[in-house]
Amino acid sequence: MTTEATLPSTSASPTARQVWTRTRGVVLALVLLLVAAVAIAVIRSDSQHGTLDPRSVDQYGSRAVAELLADRGVSTRVVTSLAEAEAAAGPDTTLLVAVPDLLTHGQQSQLRSGTADSGGRTLLVAPGSSSVERLAPGVVANPATSLDSTLSPDCALPAARRAGTADTGGIRYTATRPDADECYPSNRLATLVRVPDRSGDGDTVVLGAPDILYNDTLDEQGNASLALQLLGSRPHLVWYLPSLSDTAATDPDDEKGFFDLLPSGWLWGTLQLFIAAVLAALWRARRLGPLVPENLPVAIRASETVEGRARLYRKANARDRAAAALRSTTRTRLAPLVGVPVTQAHAPEALLPALSAHLHSPGDGQAMHALLFGPPPGDDTALISLADQLDALEREVRRP
Amino acid sequence: MALTGRAALLAALGSLPVGIWDPGWTGILAVNAPLAVACACDFALAAPVRRLGLTRSGDTSVRLGDTADVTLTITNPTRRPLRAHLRDAWPPSTWLPGTEVAASRHRLTVPAGERRRVTTRLRPTRRGDRQSDRVTIRSYGPLGLLSRQGTHTVPWTVRVLPPFTSRKHLPSKLARLRELDGRTSVLTRGEGTEFDSLREYVPGDDTRSIDWRATARQTTVAVRTWRPERDRHILLVLDTGRTSAGRVGDAPRLDASMDAALLLAALASRAGDRVDLLAYDRRVRALVQGRTAGDVLPSLVNAMATLEPELVETDARSLTATALRSAPRRSLIVLLTTLDAAPVEEGLLPVLSQLTQRHTILLASVADPHIAGMATARGNTESVYEAAAAAQAQAERHRTAEQLRRHGVTVVDATPDDLAPALADAYLALKAAGRL
Repeated sequence: MTTEATLPSTSASPTARQVWTRTRGVVLALVLLLVAAVAIAVIRSDSQHGTLDPRSVDQYGSRAVAELLADRGVSTRVVTSLAEAEAAAGPDTTLLVAVPDLLTHGQQSQLRSGTADSGGRTLLVAPGSSSVERLAPGVVANPATSLDSTLSPDCALPAARRAGTADTGGIRYTATRPDADECYPSNRLATLVRVPDRSGDGDTVVLGAPDILYNDTLDEQGNASLALQLLGSRPHLVWYLPSLSDTAATDPDDEKGFFDLLPSGWLWGTLQLFIAAVLAALWRARRLGPLVPENLPVAIRASETVEGRARLYRKANARDRAAAALRSTTRTRLAPLVGVPVTQAHAPEALLPALSAHLHSPGDGQAMHALLFGPPPGDDTALISLADQLDALEREVRRP
Repeated sequence: MALTGRAALLAALGSLPVGIWDPGWTGILAVNAPLAVACACDFALAAPVRRLGLTRSGDTSVRLGDTADVTLTITNPTRRPLRAHLRDAWPPSTWLPGTEVAASRHRLTVPAGERRRVTTRLRPTRRGDRQSDRVTIRSYGPLGLLSRQGTHTVPWTVRVLPPFTSRKHLPSKLARLRELDGRTSVLTRGEGTEFDSLREYVPGDDTRSIDWRATARQTTVAVRTWRPERDRHILLVLDTGRTSAGRVGDAPRLDASMDAALLLAALASRAGDRVDLLAYDRRVRALVQGRTAGDVLPSLVNAMATLEPELVETDARSLTATALRSAPRRSLIVLLTTLDAAPVEEGLLPVLSQLTQRHTILLASVADPHIAGMATARGNTESVYEAAAAAQAQAERHRTAEQLRRHGVTVVDATPDDLAPALADAYLALKAAGRL
C-alpha cells in the first residue's frame, strides 16, 4: 500500500474549503442583501402597520378609542371573517366595518343582507363609491374628496352637535333619502351620513374619513366625542377588519373550479409526481464532466473560386467569355493530336487545315471555322450545343 | 453529487401511496423523507472520488487512421468498494464522429484497496497533438440512488502523425532506384554520372563500359559501373500559407503535400541523399536539418504532425531567403506550393532567379480533381458555365506552369492521389539525368 500513499493527487475537484473560499463573497453579499431588505421592510412598514386595529397602539391604530369605550362599559370584539361579523349583528351591537373597500361585491351584498334590519348600528369607515352603494343604499359617494379635513357639524344629529368640529373631511356623500342626517358638509356635500333602517331603530352611519378613530388624532377637535358617541350607542362593539384569508371571499354561488372537483388524492399524487419530475430533471441535468473545447480546422474548398467564377459568368450571361474559354481549351487539346505546335493552336490558318486532313470524313471547313473560331453564341441553348459540338469534334479527332 | 434515474423513479412510484392512502402533507413526507434518508446513506457509502489514484500509460503517437490505446489505472485506497462510471475526456477529433460517447465512457468496479485498468481506444480524425482532458468519475453507492462525482486531471498527449498513405508506392519506386543504381540482377548498365566501381565482365554487359586499363592490370576483363550521384542535398519546402488550407476532397492541400514530401524523403534517404525540411509561411513553422538516413523519416513525420495551414499570404521573398540559408550547398529544392496564378506571379516569380542560380528547383502542386470534373460537365446552362470557368482556371494553371518551366523549374501538377508517385518519378528522372 506504500505505492498508493506516494501517488500524487490528481483530483481536480474543488475541496470543501475551496468551495467555501470561492462562494463566501457571494454568500456574504446575499446575506447582506437579505438583512438590508428585512431592515428596510421593518422600517418602512411601521407607519401603516395595524391601521384601524383596536389592538394597535401605533400612530394609525385605534387602541385609544377602544380603551375609552371599555371605560364606558362598551365591549369591543375584533372579527376578521364575514361569517363572524354577520353572526355578531344584533340590536345591542354596533358593527364597525374598518375598510369596506377590501370586501368583494358578493361579500358586501352578503353583509348588507345580514345586517339590515338587525336593529343595531353599522358604521362604515370611508367606503368608496362602489361599496357605499351596496352597503348603504340611499347614499352616493362623490368622486371629488373634501379639501379640508376639519369640518363643523352643521346638522341636527345630536351626536354631531355635541361633538362640534371634527376631522371627518375625506370622501363626500349625498343622501337620496329624506330621512337621512347629513352632517359635516364640505361644499354642501356631507362627510358623515346617518341613514336609519326602514324598520326598527337600527341605522347605518357612513363616515368620510377614518381620522377620528386614529390614536394620533383622537384628542384633536371633537374627534373623541364624535367617535365615542357613534360607537358607544350600543353595549357591544364588533370591529370587523376584512382580511384576505376570509373563506367567504369566494362567492358561494360561483361555479366550482376544476381543482375543487378533483379528488384530493389526484392533486397530492400529482404533487409527488412533480417532485419526481424535479428529481428526474436534476438527474438528467448533471453531466459526466464538461464539454471539451477544440480549435476547428479551416474548411475552405479549394475549388471555391472556380465555382464563384462560374456563378459570376452565369449571372452576367458572359456567354462570350465562356465560349472563348471552351474553344480555347479544345483548341489547345486538339493541336498536339493533329500535329500542330501548341503555340500555333490559336491560329486558324495553322490548325484548321491540319484538322481537316486528320479527320476521317472531312466536313465543311466553314462549319469547323465557325465552331472553333466563330462568334459567341446568342443564347444559353446555343452555348450548351457549342460545348457538345466541341466534345463531339474532339472525340472524332481522338478516334483511331 | 449526482442523482440517478432510480431516485426519480422511486419518487414517481411514491405518487401512488400518496394519492391512494394518504393525500396530504403527511403522505408527501412519508414518501420523501425515507427516500432522502436512503439517498444520504447511499452518498455516505459511495467511495470518495477525491482519494482515488489515477495514472496513465500507453501509446504516445499514432498514425492518422490507426487506433491508439491509452490505459488508465485506477487505484482505490479507500475501504469502500468503488462502483463507478468513468469518462475519459479527449478533444472531439480524437474519435470518429458519433462514437465519442461509447469510446470515452467506461463502467468499472474496484474492490477496496485494489486497482483496475481501463483502456480508452482513440481513433483520431486529424493530425496534431491530442491532449487528454479531465477524467470524470461518478461513484455510486450500494443502492444506486445518489452518487459522488469528481474529476481528476491526468495529463497525456498522443501525437497524431501524418498517415503517409503513399508508402504503398515506395517498393516500386525503390525498385526503379535500384535499376538506376546498377545493382540489379538484370545487369543493365547504371545510368548516372558518378563512377562507382570495377567489376568482372559478364556476358551481356555493354562493351563500351569495359575499362581497358584495369583489364590490362588484371587477368579478367573489368567493366566500370556507374551509379547516380549520392550524398546530394534535398530541401523540402512546405508552403503552409493560405493556399495550402484549401480542401481538396476531404483534406487540406497541405496534407497531400506532406504525403508527397514523405514519399520523396523516404526514397531519397534510401538513395543516399540528405533530406531537410522547411515549413514556412511568414515565419518558420518547422525546420528539420542534418538528420541521418535512418532518422530522417521519423523526425520529418514528427515535425509535420503539428503543422496546420495558416490563413496568411506566404511571404515568398523571406521564404526564398530562408531556403537559401538552409541550403548552403547546391541542392534540389522541392517547393510544395500552389500553381495559382496570383501568388506565383506576384510572389515566387520575381525571386525565382535567386533560387535557380545555384539550385535545382522542383515545384509540386496539388490539383483539384473537382475542377477536372467540372471541366467535363455538360448538359445544362449551369454545368456549361462551370465547365467554362474550370477550363479557364486550368488554362491559367498551365500558363503559370509554362512560365515556371521557362525559368528552368520542373513542375509537377497532380491530384492528391497521384502527387506522391508523380513527385517521386520527377525526382528519379532528375537523378537519372544527373541534374542533382
